[in-house]
Amino acid sequence: MKDLKHLIYFENLLQDAQNELVDKAKAQGQKALGYNCYYIPEVLLNLPGCFSSRLRAPRCTSTDIAGYYMTGRTCPYARSILERAIEGGYNYLDCLFGAESCATMDRMEQHFFLINPVKNDKFFVTQIDPPMKGDQTNLEYYKVQLRVKVLEPLRDRLGVVISDAAIRKAVEQHNRLCRVITEIGNLRKLPNPPITGYEFHVIQLVSQVCPHDLILPYLEETLEELKTREPEAKFPFRARVVVVGSEIDDENFTKLIESCGAMVVADRYCFGSFPSREEIEIFNNESAFDAVCRHYLHWNQCARFMDGRKIDQRKEEVLRLHDEFKADGIIYENMKFCEFWSYEKVMESSIFINELHIPTCTIEKEYALGAVGQLRTRFQAFIESLEIKQIQGGK
Amino acid sequence: MKAIDKLIAPLDKALERFDPLWQAEHGTGGLRSRYYDKTGVAKWREWRGVKDTLYDYTAWIKNIICMVQMVAMAPLPILKGFWEYRWMGSYLGTFMFIDRLFEGYRGPELRIAHMNMHAIVQSLTKRIAFALKNDARLGGGPDTENIIPHDETITPLFLKGFKGLYPFPLQTLPEFIICDVDQHIEPYYVDVAESFGLPADVCSRCAAETGVAIDDAFPLFGKVMLSTNMPCNASEATSMFQRRRIGKPDFPITLAMQHNEKEALPYSRQTLLDAIAFVEEHYGVKYDWDEFFKYAKLMNEQNTIELEKWDFFKTPYSPLSGVSESLYRLYSWQSVNGQDPYFNKVDRKVIEIIRKAYEQKYLPFGGKTRHRAFLWGPSAVYYTDFPTWVQNCWGITIVLNMDSTMGFNMIDTEDPEKALDDLTRFTEKACMRHHAVGGWDNINALWTWAKEFNCDMILFNDNIACKGMLGTHALMEEQAREMGFHFIFVEHDLEDSRTVSRQDMRNCVNNYMSVVLGEKPLDPTIVEFDDAAAY
Amino acid sequence: MNKFWKTLLKILGKTLLIGFITFVLTFALYMFNGENKLIYYVVRPFLNKHYDSQVRDRKV
Repeated sequence: MKDLKHLIYFENLLQDAQNELVDKAKAQGQKALGYNCYYIPEVLLNLPGCFSSRLRAPRCTSTDIAGYYMTGRTCPYARSILERAIEGGYNYLDCLFGAESCATMDRMEQHFFLINPVKNDKFFVTQIDPPMKGDQTNLEYYKVQLRVKVLEPLRDRLGVVISDAAIRKAVEQHNRLCRVITEIGNLRKLPNPPITGYEFHVIQLVSQVCPHDLILPYLEETLEELKTREPEAKFPFRARVVVVGSEIDDENFTKLIESCGAMVVADRYCFGSFPSREEIEIFNNESAFDAVCRHYLHWNQCARFMDGRKIDQRKEEVLRLHDEFKADGIIYENMKFCEFWSYEKVMESSIFINELHIPTCTIEKEYALGAVGQLRTRFQAFIESLEIKQIQGGK
Repeated sequence: MKAIDKLIAPLDKALERFDPLWQAEHGTGGLRSRYYDKTGVAKWREWRGVKDTLYDYTAWIKNIICMVQMVAMAPLPILKGFWEYRWMGSYLGTFMFIDRLFEGYRGPELRIAHMNMHAIVQSLTKRIAFALKNDARLGGGPDTENIIPHDETITPLFLKGFKGLYPFPLQTLPEFIICDVDQHIEPYYVDVAESFGLPADVCSRCAAETGVAIDDAFPLFGKVMLSTNMPCNASEATSMFQRRRIGKPDFPITLAMQHNEKEALPYSRQTLLDAIAFVEEHYGVKYDWDEFFKYAKLMNEQNTIELEKWDFFKTPYSPLSGVSESLYRLYSWQSVNGQDPYFNKVDRKVIEIIRKAYEQKYLPFGGKTRHRAFLWGPSAVYYTDFPTWVQNCWGITIVLNMDSTMGFNMIDTEDPEKALDDLTRFTEKACMRHHAVGGWDNINALWTWAKEFNCDMILFNDNIACKGMLGTHALMEEQAREMGFHFIFVEHDLEDSRTVSRQDMRNCVNNYMSVVLGEKPLDPTIVEFDDAAAY
Repeated sequence: MNKFWKTLLKILGKTLLIGFITFVLTFALYMFNGENKLIYYVVRPFLNKHYDSQVRDRKV
């Protein structure tokens, strides 16, 4: 296929948290609001005058200093973020909206106020207590948490307007971005898509780490380009897979899978588009803020949700993606030391393999692409098994 | 009594050379001398002097009687239980366990320790009989459908408002208690879980629970399951696993993590109300606040006495400390939780002994205490007698354990609305939960506790798989240095003694005491020994 | 001493004797750690053998 016009530009934007567009937005006087987790609604961080910046630590290969604070036995994503913060990689941030979504994330975010790694006098941190069920009681708690720990600090400490009208405007802008990404993502449903999983991963990532108003024109242009892009004459991959798991913000992980012969047709992981790019609907009888809370609680697929309805939803969502994107198999990933996804991976893969008879492979990975050889071998073996299954007519 | 003391004094003198404490002092042996190597099996029991040995013997008899009563209560289910469940076999190690815990204990320390331990034994044996008698897997019983199985970290007190129903912490028998007794039982279940692909770096307690679920080794009873988000991530994750295997309608009682904040109370309160409604719906029993108040009063009395005990712990004259204190508090709070008046009786007796000891300015452990330590972080359950070892080997008294600081607020016993608020605060401060998660201030509270209890040392449990505590390493150590506390990380793997052995744990202390402080052990026979094959 | 007292003394004597013998036996069992040796070297190995041979319904 012909190269996408902006792909190299997008790839470059992913080389640093403080990328060209972040600098541009800061120069315009916008506030940079950091966050780590889907529990913090991205849309609320894109109220007029500010922009969201989902924290990544690209090219982080050593976490020695963070390891001193948090030991080497904690989630490498969290450690890498702390390391990058200590290195000065997030000095552009005005605040960090954290979530105690897991113990390590919690401790990592605490270090942002305990050792003050962000060199910005006005920088502050809040942490929400994220709900663990999808019921009404938890929705109310989620609203309280987001109001007290996100909206009010935005208003009181950064002077951001948090009115219903402002939130509606942010939702509108957010939905515009979601529509573009979803439309691009849906191309992966085609038998011979004009986009690879890697390219989509890059596009999805830039939409999360760049100011929306600045990246949107590029994304819209890319969508137009894709509509007329000629795919390869023949589907160049041997299989189609859904990737499910925790933090995957390394586009090279997708490249690795695809280099082994399987196209990543759906991305259901933190930093992926499922969830994150569903449009927010505001009902007649509710405020924009309530709609945002309801939306995010409903779509959240985090493995920490404990109630039966959410557990079932997680499985059904993966199944839906598998069916809609015509995948041959599923890859369950967990970041090393991630307890939630360690369990989720074992339980769900067992269900998919033994009850739903869908080929499923499970892997554990570092944050920065370590142990590539092992992963490659594992993917190759899995893809081969999918191929054999196809040859045998699905038996 | 004094006449008896005079009478036995010559006998004590004649036999003192058999006392391991005397042997250690005189260089002729010590606490480890009477063991077969590696096994943890003693050739003979500890000679503690005539009076204390007889007291220990009497306590042993009383515990045997409890076990006999347990079998008599449900002979067939007990036998079936032994045959069906691997973890039941481990309960046979109880006597060895008790001996281990109270090595080197004399006088009031020994009396209190046995009173506390007997309370646990009498309660636990009844529970085992009750559980097995009603275990549907073994044929069921009259109360099979009247039991409310719940997660071990949910406080059963609030469920006592359901008259005629029996709250039962499901993981207690196969995991929560037995891991203390036998260091080899949970690694078996950990292996089962890992054989299904669970990574080895998750918390071993939760991995073991998962293994029990996969191995189909939970007793079966009740109509629902009440799980919870307490205390931590792995516990939440394994609950989802267990939910699937147990296959009953479940209600996760997800209390606020950041429970110190004012927004937490209304949410957690509502969650408890939702849980009550869930039980009412499935069991058809209305919640009765008067019934609840009866048990809340018992819990309040326990906590009142506990707070008084703490005042004595702050002085050098408390004969209650170490494992005797922490194990009892753990069981009486987390598991009994106001349900058993026997514990109140024991508390009343124990506080009398403590008061008397204080009046007499009694120095426990022969006055050999060199350091007063606060034990912080979840402890290694495969080395329950670790506090006993630090006392006997290095003269370090564990004044209080983090887990002892579980909910100590009083609960209103008249007004349901006020009671619910109190109950919420109380429930949120469960085992391994209160200080380990929910904000930096909770873990950082260590310094205030340690100062209040006049400690000069912190033993910081470093569970190598506890993600919440691992993220605090450097800052805790830096603060300790600034404040002038002796600070020792004690590495362990909670329930898997294969990763960090008991000797490895001992070495953490040995190295600090000998290299940093340059101290000599009180008993050289227990500095280094192999107890890998012991229960 | 009449017959009643003699019988009573006899019973008392026997009770004391039995009590003493029970004490001696149980104290010896206690002191020499008999029950733990039995459990450790005989009962648990037997039970473990049984547990190891169990076929359990293992599944997620």
